[in-house]
Amino acid sequence: MIHIQGACKRFGSNTILDGIDLRIAPGEVVSILGPSGSGKSTLIRCINGLEKLDGGSISVDGHRVDDPKQLQLARRCSGTVFQLFNLYPHMTALQNVTLAPIEVLKMPRAQAEQEARALLASVGLGERADLYPAQLSGGQRQRVGICRALAMNPRYLLLDEVTSALDPEMTAEVLAILGKLARGGTTMLFVTHEIAFAREISDRIVFLDGGRLVADLPAAQFFASDGGLAQPRIAQFLSKMNKS
Amino acid sequence: MRYTDFTPHDLVLLLQGLGVSVALFAATTVIGLVIGLAWALLRYYRVPLLAPFAALLAELLKNSPVLVQLFLVFFGLPVLLETDLTPVQAALITLSGNTAAFIYVIAVSAIESVGRDQVETARVFGLSRWQTLRRVVAPQAAAFGFGPLAGLLINQLQVTSLISVIGVVDLTKVGAILNLRTLKPFIVWTVIGLLYYLMARLIAAACARAEARLRAHRQWKGL
Repeated sequence: MIHIQGACKRFGSNTILDGIDLRIAPGEVVSILGPSGSGKSTLIRCINGLEKLDGGSISVDGHRVDDPKQLQLARRCSGTVFQLFNLYPHMTALQNVTLAPIEVLKMPRAQAEQEARALLASVGLGERADLYPAQLSGGQRQRVGICRALAMNPRYLLLDEVTSALDPEMTAEVLAILGKLARGGTTMLFVTHEIAFAREISDRIVFLDGGRLVADLPAAQFFASDGGLAQPRIAQFLSKMNKS
Repeated sequence: MRYTDFTPHDLVLLLQGLGVSVALFAATTVIGLVIGLAWALLRYYRVPLLAPFAALLAELLKNSPVLVQLFLVFFGLPVLLETDLTPVQAALITLSGNTAAFIYVIAVSAIESVGRDQVETARVFGLSRWQTLRRVVAPQAAAFGFGPLAGLLINQLQVTSLISVIGVVDLTKVGAILNLRTLKPFIVWTVIGLLYYLMARLIAAACARAEARLRAHRQWKGL
């Protein structure tokens, strides 16, 4: 369970998160929608401990993120996929995936590489395991990024606008893999602008605006005219997204 | 045979001088690397007191003439500590300290050239600060820092010629001796200069090879 309670985050006088309450249970797929600057990415960065909360608390499977002693354990539970991939440029795709299992989980190299090759093959990159990120396309890089997160066997997958830097064709590549994971029962917290895809795979949809949680509804209800669409801010946002 | 003629023994002298220069250069480079990188580590781990002290020391060393530092160590330190220093010891201390100061500057800027996103990613995946440095930051910083390092090493090789002033019989000192005896400065200093040139080219070639290897992951080979 990811348990977010009254999370507040400010940068100077700018309030980014303004008392967010949210729970994500194992097995759930939760999408976070909202306009740019609404705090979606910051929320992810607070869950994996890259930003310090100014108020409230976040715990992952009971490990409090704000306690430096528990942060390491909390991070062990979740895997993050980044908007701009953040692959290690000096390592091959395979080395990118095996680094954390070898260094953090102390997995034997042979085993880590075997598992990594299987993961890369499962996203269609079996042939490209020994190439460097610079030799891969954007979509391929992000698929490596997903494998890198999965290699740690996380209970929760945190996805921070993972297709925002990709063209539609590459986006489709990556979404296909995420769809497969979602149907396979991986718990996902999915920050995205891919509304249609979010609707398809999510159990719940959360809408953030100005650092506040405006709605937290089952996917079908979020898009129903008497559900989320009844709220003017959501209706306005969705109509703009649909136009583009 | 006139005493101003060159003799076969001069060649031995030249080689000895060359050996002293190369040995001092190699030793001070290794010591300088160790100390300079250690200072950079102090900074990476933000060690209180020691980190600012290293920064200050590097500032002082890189902003004053090596010759002045050499005189301070060779003439000043024995007075202060009431011991004797041989010229070679003084040269070792001075050049090592000077190299360390510049290595520190290169290492710090190389570490800072590695994006914050890289460090964040490694930390999110549970790597410790040390693991992050060793596996993620250092390899990328090394690729970045190798160009400046090559430039520094070639410069430090030339700087070793200063130690002839306090009586170390390095290549330059041998040149001075031969020049006095033969009274053929144009030939002597041309030969000495060429020998330094050849050593510098060797260092540059070795660095270029190492750098190419460190940059193997980049498709873009530079301008």
